[in-house]
Amino acid sequence: MKPFINAKGLVHEYSRRDEEGNVTGINRALDGIDIEVKAGGFIAVLGANGSGKSTFAKHLNALLVPTEGTLYVDGMDTSEQKNNLPIRRTAGMVFQNPDNQIISNVVEEDVGFGPENMGVPTEEIWRRVEESLKSVGMYEYRKDSPNHLSGGQKQRIAIAGIMAMKPKCIVLDEPTAMLDPSGRKAVIKTVKELNKKENITIILITHYMEEVTGADYVYVMSEGQVKMKGTPRQVFARSEELAKYRLMVPEVTKIALGLSKKGINIPKDILYPEELTDILLKIKSGVL
Amino acid sequence: MIRDITIGQYYATESIIHKLDPRVKVVCTFAYIISLFCFNQLSGYIIAALFFWCITKLSKVPFKFIVRGIKPILFMLVFTALLNLFWTSGEHILIKYGVITITAEGVKRTIFMALRLVFLIIGSSLMTLATTPNQLTDAIEKLLRPLNKLKVPVHEVAMMMSIALRFIPILVEETDKIMKAQLARGADFESGNIFHRIKSMAPIIIPLFVSAARRATDLALAMDARCYNGGEGRTKMKPLKYKKQDIIAYLIMLLYITVIIIAGKYLPF
Repeated sequence: MKPFINAKGLVHEYSRRDEEGNVTGINRALDGIDIEVKAGGFIAVLGANGSGKSTFAKHLNALLVPTEGTLYVDGMDTSEQKNNLPIRRTAGMVFQNPDNQIISNVVEEDVGFGPENMGVPTEEIWRRVEESLKSVGMYEYRKDSPNHLSGGQKQRIAIAGIMAMKPKCIVLDEPTAMLDPSGRKAVIKTVKELNKKENITIILITHYMEEVTGADYVYVMSEGQVKMKGTPRQVFARSEELAKYRLMVPEVTKIALGLSKKGINIPKDILYPEELTDILLKIKSGVL
Repeated sequence: MIRDITIGQYYATESIIHKLDPRVKVVCTFAYIISLFCFNQLSGYIIAALFFWCITKLSKVPFKFIVRGIKPILFMLVFTALLNLFWTSGEHILIKYGVITITAEGVKRTIFMALRLVFLIIGSSLMTLATTPNQLTDAIEKLLRPLNKLKVPVHEVAMMMSIALRFIPILVEETDKIMKAQLARGADFESGNIFHRIKSMAPIIIPLFVSAARRATDLALAMDARCYNGGEGRTKMKPLKYKKQDIIAYLIMLLYITVIIIAGKYLPF
């Protein structure tokens, strides 16, 4: 099967300019990225600040185009301008700051903004708005002003706004960076549900390791390159390497690693607190 | 004080006024504002006030929300009032003290001018409270559509207005935050003469502009990502269509204007 997203040797360079606009230097934000994503998958891209992960996200939506290399989204070349709109219909994008991506003063009107731009007929817009607000659990707020909602709620509205465009894929560029822990949980839960129930391909860009435990596959980026890849378990087991890229494994994994260093027979790739409790109980009762 | 601006603050409730076509509300608000300048006697103000009171009741917007809109322009109001008070010449001099002369005509004009300004502000406040900014810009877009032929970018301007309205509360909140942050670091916005105080605003204005520019970039990206491509080929989630109630509203407005004009001509006071 052809991959849904296919990046080959993707390079992106930003030029630095002085006040007169002369190029003074070139920053290589992406340096030869190869990533393949299957349709319906849940992929996480991890990276510290400045690792190039947001630049990569913007490529997926054709907001930026490759300097070198190619990127295909659902078979469409992002470097061709005529593909811009079809790509944006296929891959929706949720940004970091919830306030800066909400256009309207009423929740339902904001969710309808995308479909309006796409020229969807009126009745269909209403149907989509209702559907997508329900799928993120924000239907009862449809008449409210986004200004009265919490960060997590606003971010779910933004997701609904993308859902209403019926994309095959949603790219989330650090959607939880500005949220409190409860808002973060709600957003990630919503994203996981969309992936499972609606079979939407999810690309989650983040630096919170806890959020990627549910992903099918994880890419770790640093200095514009993919440094590690694998399932969350495979990646988290290599905590020393992760630390090199300024990433911290989740607390549970850290505990398990510490215990295993002390000579206790415990797997290194523990992801969930329940898992750790189970294993510890088994060890205590002498099963392991 | 900065939090009190009501323009652009939609008050969500169900009422006949809220349900009216936004074009009706825009046209009627303009007509109302113009009507305020069509008379110059007490009865006119009474009719204008009564009419406004009825509309407010119908709109179910609490009166205190509407009145809040006056606060930010209080200074301007007092200023124009004083100008009118001292600079109107007339026959019936009430007080004469040095260069200061206050005439009966001046007092009358001051009161009327102030009332006019107040009605003007609360009138437009009521419109923005009862209409979502998006509806408002839809209305303006549709009303100004003929200008498209003259190459005026009507849709773009309407879009900019609606975004500006959306960001007013956010930027107000941000200003508040910046002010508090600067106060916490010992900034002083209150003391000193006027020049000193204007200077001391720089640490507020500059971060505010920087952040507004950043927000604008973010928003532009987000709009791009959501397939925004100008007004062409766009459909509407809430298309504007005149209904029976809108025609009735126009007729009521027409009636009001007629009454005001007749009152202005024939009523003695």
